[in-house]
Amino acid sequence: MFDSYLIKEDSLQNVVEDGKVAGFKFAVRIADYRGCYLSLHNGYYISVDDVEYPKEVQKFEINGKAPRDFEEIKKCVWEHWDYDDWGWVYVAKEGGLAPGKHHIGLQQSILAQYGYFPEHDEEWVKNPPIPGKGAGAGKSMFICYFDLDLQEGGK
Amino acid sequence: MGIKRGVSFYSYQQTQFFGKMFWKDMVLELHDNLKTDGIEIIDESTIPHYPFPPQEFIYDWNSYLARYDMKAVTKDVYLDVHQFRDHVMTHKEAAERLKYDIKLAADMGFQNIRCLCLVPIDVIEMCLETAEKYNVRIGKEIHAPLPISTVGKKQPTKGMAGALDIHMVDQIIDLAQRTGSKHVGLVPDFGIFQYRPSQVAIDYNKRHLNPQQIEEMEWLLENSINFEDGEDAAQDAYRAQFPNGTLNPMIVESMSLHKSSADPEDLRPIVPYILSMHGKFYQMTEIEGEPGHYEDKAINYADPIRILNEEGFQGYINSEYEGQRDQQDRGKEFLPDEVEEVRRHHEMLQRLFDATPNKGDL
Repeated sequence: MFDSYLIKEDSLQNVVEDGKVAGFKFAVRIADYRGCYLSLHNGYYISVDDVEYPKEVQKFEINGKAPRDFEEIKKCVWEHWDYDDWGWVYVAKEGGLAPGKHHIGLQQSILAQYGYFPEHDEEWVKNPPIPGKGAGAGKSMFICYFDLDLQEGGK
Repeated sequence: MGIKRGVSFYSYQQTQFFGKMFWKDMVLELHDNLKTDGIEIIDESTIPHYPFPPQEFIYDWNSYLARYDMKAVTKDVYLDVHQFRDHVMTHKEAAERLKYDIKLAADMGFQNIRCLCLVPIDVIEMCLETAEKYNVRIGKEIHAPLPISTVGKKQPTKGMAGALDIHMVDQIIDLAQRTGSKHVGLVPDFGIFQYRPSQVAIDYNKRHLNPQQIEEMEWLLENSINFEDGEDAAQDAYRAQFPNGTLNPMIVESMSLHKSSADPEDLRPIVPYILSMHGKFYQMTEIEGEPGHYEDKAINYADPIRILNEEGFQGYINSEYEGQRDQQDRGKEFLPDEVEEVRRHHEMLQRLFDATPNKGDL
C-alpha cells in the first residue's frame, strides 16, 4: 500500500551529531490504512545504492520524542503511531551519504495482525521477522524503490 | 424505509493519507452529495491518539454528527495479538481490549462494533455483559473466503483460509441463541460474493511479477475454473502445474478465485443476525449501454440485494472501497478518485435497492 508514497519527497538528509555527520534520515508514513500500537513497529529493510542497513543501525522518531532504537520501540506497548503522522527513520552511517541522487529500497515491518494466527504467533514473540524477508511486512507486499536527492541541511 | 446506504471512511483512506480530507470533510460528503447518514469508521485511522483520544475530540465528534443528523453505525476494531511483544495476548487480555473498544464506541454514539473474523468466540462471550451495559452490539465480520453455510464445504488447511474456521457464522448464531443476547451478530462483507479477481489486482501483480510468474498467474486466471472448490485445491493445482513455481501462496489464492465463497441464497436464514454489512468493492465501471449506471465486475451485488429485500433487511450497507490500494505503486496521475468511486457505488446500491420491494415495507 502507498508503495510510491511511503518516503516523503525531499526528506532525505544527513544527520549531524556532535559536529560530525553520523548518518542519514528520511520521513515515512505507515504502509497501512490504519495506525498501530508503536510496539508493533519492527523496523525496515533499507538499502541505499545496494548497501543494506539492518534494523540494528536504525532508529525511529515519532510523537515528539527523541529517536529510539527498535529495542526501545518494542516496549512502547501503549503508545500509538497515528495514521496521519510522518515518522523519521534514522540510519547510523559514519560520514553519511554523498551529495547527489540515491537509490533507496524500503520495506516496512509492522507486526499488525487481524487476531490469532497460530502458524506464527509464538514464533514472532521468540524470533520477530527480519524486515525485507517477507514475513511481517504488513501491507507492503514488495520492497519499494525510490530515487531521492540528498537535501541540504543536516550538514 | 428499505435497506440503508452508508460509507465506511476506510473508502477515503488515500485522500486522508494525502491530507485532502479528514473525518469532517467525509461527513459533509455523505450529507451533501451522497444524501445519506450512515457512518462507519476504522478506529485507528479516524480517532486521534487512539486508544486515548482527547475528550475534545469526543465532544466534537458527537456535536458534529448531531448537527448534520448523521448515524454512527459501526466502528471497526482490531486485535493485534503482538501488542505486548513479550507474549501472545491471552484471550482475557483480548477481551479487555475489546471491552475498552466497546466503551469508546459508546462514547462516540456507535450502535455496533465490528470485530474481526479471528477474534475467538470465547473472547466475544467475555464481552457480552459490557456490550449490554453500554448498548453496543458486537458484530463479527464474515470476510472472504468464508462461506455462510458450511453444507458441502471443506475446511481449508493452508494460509489465511486455513486460519478461518468455516463454522464462524454457526458459532455466532449459537452464542446468540444460547445466551439470548441481542448484542451479538454478524457483519457480512460483500467480498464473500466476489467471483473473480478484480482487474486492478491483476494489473498490480502484472507490474510487479517477473515474466515467468506472470505466465503462471495467467495460467491460474484461465484454468482455475476447472479447479475443485476450496483454497487447498488451488495451491495443489498450482504446485502440480509448476513444481518450481515461485508465486506467493496469497497470490495463488487470490488469482485462482472463480466462485464466490458464499452463496447469496444462504443470506436468508441469517438476516435477523445481520447488524450491518460491508459493501466491499474494487472498481466501479459504467455498464455498457447504460450511461450513468455503474457496476463492480468482480462482485455480485444484484442477487444478494434482491434476497436482502425479499427477507426484509433494513439495516445499513456501508461502502468499503478497496481498489485504490492496487494502484498506489504508480504516479499521482494514475491514482483513482475515491470520492467518485463511492458516488458510483451509491448509484448502484440505490438502484438495486429500488429494483425490488423490501418485505419490511409491505
